[in-house]
Amino acid sequence: MRRFVVGLAWREARGAWRHFAYFLACITLGVGALVGVGSFADSLEGTVARSAKALMGGDVEIRSTRPIPEDPAALVPPGRGGRPAITRVRELVAMAQAGPDETQLVELKAIEPGYPLYGTLVTDPAGPLDTLIGGGRVLVHDSLLARPGLRVGDRLRIGDATLTIAGRVVTEPDRAVGVFSLGPRVIMASEDLDRTGLVRPGSRVRYRTLFRLADDEDAALFRDALAARLPAAQRVRTYAQAQPGLRRFWDQLTMYLGLTGLVALMVGGIGVAVSVSAFVKEKRASIAVLKALGAGSRPLLAAYLLQTLLLGLGGSVAGAILGSLVQPLLAPALSRLLPIQIDLAFSLRAVVRGIAMGVGVTALYALWPLLAIRRVPPSLILRHEIEPRLAGRRPWAAAVPIAAGLAAVALWQAGAWKVGALFAGGLAAALFLLAAGARGVIALARRARWRAPAWRQGAANLHRPGSHAGPVLISLGLAVMLVVAIALLDENLRAELAHRGAGQTPAFFFIDIQPDQAQAFAAVVAGHGAAAPPELTPVVRARLAAIDGEPVDARERAGREDAWHLTREYVLTWAAAPPGHNTLVAGRWWAAEEAASAATTEPLISVEEEIARQLGVGLGGTLTFDIQGVPVTARVTSLRHVDWRSLSANFFVIFSPGALEGAPSTLIATVRARPEDEPRLQSAVVAALPNVTAIPVREVLERIGAVLDQIALAVRLVAAFSVAAGLVVMAGALAITRRQRLYQSVILKALGATRGFVTRVFAVEYALLGAAGGLAGTALGAALAWAVLRWVFEVPWTWAPGTLAAGVLTATGLALAVGILGTRRLLGRRPLGVLRGE
Amino acid sequence: MGSDMIRVQSLSMRLASGGRAVDVLTDVSLTVPAGQFVAVAGPSGSGKSTLLGLIAGLDQPTAGRIEVAGVVVTGLDEDALARFRLARVGYVFQSFHLVPTLTALENVAVPLELGGDAEAPARARALLAEVGLAERAHHYPVQLSGGEQQRVAVARALARRPPLLLADEPTGNLDSATGKQIIDLLVGANRRLGCTLVLVTHDPALAAHADRVITLRDGRIVSDE
Repeated sequence: MRRFVVGLAWREARGAWRHFAYFLACITLGVGALVGVGSFADSLEGTVARSAKALMGGDVEIRSTRPIPEDPAALVPPGRGGRPAITRVRELVAMAQAGPDETQLVELKAIEPGYPLYGTLVTDPAGPLDTLIGGGRVLVHDSLLARPGLRVGDRLRIGDATLTIAGRVVTEPDRAVGVFSLGPRVIMASEDLDRTGLVRPGSRVRYRTLFRLADDEDAALFRDALAARLPAAQRVRTYAQAQPGLRRFWDQLTMYLGLTGLVALMVGGIGVAVSVSAFVKEKRASIAVLKALGAGSRPLLAAYLLQTLLLGLGGSVAGAILGSLVQPLLAPALSRLLPIQIDLAFSLRAVVRGIAMGVGVTALYALWPLLAIRRVPPSLILRHEIEPRLAGRRPWAAAVPIAAGLAAVALWQAGAWKVGALFAGGLAAALFLLAAGARGVIALARRARWRAPAWRQGAANLHRPGSHAGPVLISLGLAVMLVVAIALLDENLRAELAHRGAGQTPAFFFIDIQPDQAQAFAAVVAGHGAAAPPELTPVVRARLAAIDGEPVDARERAGREDAWHLTREYVLTWAAAPPGHNTLVAGRWWAAEEAASAATTEPLISVEEEIARQLGVGLGGTLTFDIQGVPVTARVTSLRHVDWRSLSANFFVIFSPGALEGAPSTLIATVRARPEDEPRLQSAVVAALPNVTAIPVREVLERIGAVLDQIALAVRLVAAFSVAAGLVVMAGALAITRRQRLYQSVILKALGATRGFVTRVFAVEYALLGAAGGLAGTALGAALAWAVLRWVFEVPWTWAPGTLAAGVLTATGLALAVGILGTRRLLGRRPLGVLRGE
Repeated sequence: MGSDMIRVQSLSMRLASGGRAVDVLTDVSLTVPAGQFVAVAGPSGSGKSTLLGLIAGLDQPTAGRIEVAGVVVTGLDEDALARFRLARVGYVFQSFHLVPTLTALENVAVPLELGGDAEAPARARALLAEVGLAERAHHYPVQLSGGEQQRVAVARALARRPPLLLADEPTGNLDSATGKQIIDLLVGANRRLGCTLVLVTHDPALAAHADRVITLRDGRIVSDE
């Protein structure tokens, strides 16, 4: 029996290569997209893991927003290895003044001898660090020197200190790699930072203490020992936990890219189903003969399934090769977002995974059409029917495992339950709607009575027996949906950024204004072009210490390592009335007398609804904050919805007035100004109050826009695979119906139709397919983009008629091109031979 | 009628079949006056159908010249041939060759529509009624019997009242009763409308109806009486 199955599988595949070329191409494109993304993700992960110690700057790090009072050497637990090497780093943002009208937001980094513990700080000129910094000398990043007129040797004023640019920073191993940076790096010696006068109570300084351990010492044990000696506000991490923000960002990005790639495979799967279905139809006669000779459905099914799986394997291997080749194309689009050089490597894991998915998806999509083998009656050999009726019912029972299998593939690719389930659900909904749409279009084509004969015949081709209009519409629609959704998301997000960069948006946020500088600050901005008096808001920095009395430490240790909302720094403020752009959703705002009495007993707080949900605190609950070492417990009396789109100072937690008055606070100011007044306003503030930092909103939005562009480029690159797969499905359907088309074209020619007329018939058919697929896909893409904007980005939807029209027109044009190219060769055939069955 | 409808001079057709060349027609010459009913007889493989197809310009001969109603068919390109057929030729095939995606009515309307006839649907309906299929107008070919399909094909061939009607074994796939209906329709067109009718058949009884019988064997005319 096994020999029969294998033999039949081989014999039937022989000579069918032309037929299966499209099948292979479909799977190759799908697997290529997955392996391309997967390899890139693995290369990235490998690179980050290899350079983890350099990225962190040590084996273990203590990170705090407050000075670490203890001598770090004294914290070191007695270990088996030698004494660890220790160095300390301070980082903060500040304003650098290069001339009377040249000010720039920079990221300062103050280092001590010994830095870096891992990796190399590459400078130009090269040389020992103590010859390049210290004594008022600093190193700056190229992007600062890009400013007109600023060169090595020039002077910079930062805070109260005047410094000399001694050289350039080329690469810095432990650059804190968020995707966004606020400004160019300036590296200085620790004692020079003290001379700037920028480090004061309330200023935003990140203190890092780095340890390099002996080679045989366990970093995790060392971390635990350190953590036990330090208060919770001081985060202790090993290199293995380095750059959690970076990792989260890339994990998310590669996950979504992977799912985008999976769409290509799902589109390709439809091509497989079309191809297998046509193949089974073609083989009906042989199947009937074999059944008449006594072959059961089971070995026949096994033979064809084996054959399909082998083809799926072939296509997947080709896809793995394609994907590995594509990786270097994907990398440049994304690597500009990364501070490190990504070493592109062949990823066996991504390849094996891609091939497994390719074969799995092939089997799942092929199963349904293959099950028709069971329904081919042996009596078929006695009859010659064009569209024979198959025995028995459609194999609905198989639909459940097929759907479950495809959902499992989605979950596997996503690697996360929620996202995977959303993807699978969204895909199922899209497939269902597209299938319903395809039925509607076919029914419409049957009922429509076109006047022009070419149009009538083209439309008739959509609903003729053996037409593949349904699957072609679905695959094309799916690809169009993806591309249109991506374009709309990109466009809407960019429009949103542009909108924020104009109109109501403030020009600057000024931070770190000392309370005694408030009046001077207001005077400076009023005199230098501010459109309105600044809005000054007091802020107090704090860490969350407890929720409802339960220490955050304990919660964090209970496996919530990456719960950023537990460990982040909270910026608190107080207010007598709820700020604008805030709406109460639960509880009520405090009255003046309530606030006054609460100030002396238990302060009241209003919490933003989303963070309250994440923290698991509700009305009547308490949050305890650690404010410069002093615990303050406050009761939640209201929950707020914050419109984050309003670029104004928004807060997660607002205290009742009076409660924080003793705490060390600074002010932040929101200032509006006309764009042309911005430079002199910024320079005036920095000159008068060197410790105040200006955050230029427009510039930050531009940086975000640039990052968005890079991401959009990468996503589009991956989505292009889906479009290619959709076109291959279409071309495959054309190839399958080649014989019918040839027949139709020669009859028409025999009746007196010119080649032009026949071309118009096929053009109408494919243009209608393209237009219908384009319309359905664009509508679904718009719905998808709307949903993502509404619920993920919380950004309002704006119509983009250009993109919507482009979706429909491009789909129509591409379909038309495929149709005309695919039928062109049929037109030259002379009718006689074809009509006589030669 | 004085002129000739068909002039065939020294026609040869060589086809590649299974790797070797086969001479399907060798040096065939004949003339058919307008209005004549000619039967082309001969065993299968004698080249009858090829001769008919070449007269309609459905293929190009290897050598020779064909003139139909004053048009030199052998000198035309594909599109000119299509226009020539539309204007002059009605063709009925042994296996019907209806457009499978179109209904009976739409099939009959195709030549009318190709000719830009504004009243194509109404005239197609009338033509279907003439062949007795008015009530089957909206059926697709697969829903029609062989005889019905061939009647649709005859109505389609006659739609533009072509001066030349070519029929390639039109009853070959039909039972004799149904076949008779078809022959009656074709002969009726010849008698009533004056169409020149060339009918390929290997049925001597059928050939007996014709004004003239040309017999082919191995690609050559062996008798013309």
